[in-house]
Amino acid sequence: MTTTASTLTDRYVAEALRGVPARQRTDIEAELRTSIEDAIEDRLGAGADAPTAEHDVLAELGAPRRLGARYSERPTYLIGPELYLDYTRVLSVLLSTVVPIWFLFSGVVNFVTGSSALDTLGGALYGALETAMSLAFFTTLVFAVIERTRRSKRSAVWNPASLPEVLDKRNYFTELIGGVVFTLLIAGALVGAQTIAGVEAADGSRMGPIATGLWQSGAFYIALFYAFVSISFHVFSYYTGWSVSNAIATVILDVLFAVPVVWLAASGRLLNADYFDAIEWPAGVGVVNSIVIAIVLLFAAMDSIDGIVRATKNRRTR
Amino acid sequence: MLNDDEFATHRQELRRGTVVLACLLMLATPNYGYALLTALEKAGFGVDANTLYPLLRRLEKQGLVTSEWNTDEARPRKFYRTTSEGAALAAALTTDWNKLGAAFQTLMENS
Repeated sequence: MTTTASTLTDRYVAEALRGVPARQRTDIEAELRTSIEDAIEDRLGAGADAPTAEHDVLAELGAPRRLGARYSERPTYLIGPELYLDYTRVLSVLLSTVVPIWFLFSGVVNFVTGSSALDTLGGALYGALETAMSLAFFTTLVFAVIERTRRSKRSAVWNPASLPEVLDKRNYFTELIGGVVFTLLIAGALVGAQTIAGVEAADGSRMGPIATGLWQSGAFYIALFYAFVSISFHVFSYYTGWSVSNAIATVILDVLFAVPVVWLAASGRLLNADYFDAIEWPAGVGVVNSIVIAIVLLFAAMDSIDGIVRATKNRRTR
Repeated sequence: MLNDDEFATHRQELRRGTVVLACLLMLATPNYGYALLTALEKAGFGVDANTLYPLLRRLEKQGLVTSEWNTDEARPRKFYRTTSEGAALAAALTTDWNKLGAAFQTLMENS
């Protein structure tokens, strides 16, 4: 082994200071080094040889990471005991519902579009694995953010009146999971209608109920992304409690979704008129447009009002 | 049967607060990390270095001790000293300690 310039003490101090906030690092390093040198000197005075003295002193100080964590007083965990049970529950519910649905759905789509059985199975397995990993990642991310943002509240006096209603909480949880599954089903149905269930256009390509140009522009993925942001936000609000700022954010999110969709529908850019002609829809595309606008407005309004009601209710009980 | 780890944990928990009190009392006279560690040990308060050093920082952050770098000697050392706030806490903790001691005494006499 080649000798390096850094001593055992150098290596120990560097490792211990890794988790320590930068502004305290210099001072802690100076003190820690002095303390180590003092201890080594003591042992040398008692007759130990230098390498043994250094080794023993560091061994007695114990794992440097643990020492560093004690200095920094920062949590060395991602999700703490207060959220852990909820975290595992949300994760297991999501994984046990969304992943099998996605597996079946992508399997059916692949098979119908003419893949071989083996390719279908492989593709579906891959898709399910990918979905599971994204779910795990985003769930963990949301909970880690909650863990760090609610830290400041912990010192406040806990009031039993702030306990959530048992029934309400459970209902809301089910609602939340229902919302995720519902969103994925809608997204799946749309993709299906647009691809395998689409009808042939004049030029021989497939077209679906959504305007082809809009579909190809990737707007659908933006909508899907929006849905996940919205769901994550609802999970976040569920744990941090509905505050006025959360209610305002909900309204903003709803407006961000409703306005572009209503505008697209009203200006005739959302739906594919040719598609509705081709499938001989009796009432024409205008009626569908109106229905879409009505549903979007209704959902956005309901969600916004729901958020505001939760926020004011929370205020009253505090 | 209690295993060694569990036994050690119980002892550690019982001692935890006593280190704070011992530090506050000892640091009425200014002292630095390693010297305090050996002084505590000699006085019969066994404490690990990796507990004591971060503890001193925490006490300082809470205003119970103050610190000052002493650069008079070849090796600069950070000296800690108990503040009036720290002394007040030490007095309160000492009262509690004595009450607990008396309570245990009574308990053991009666059993």
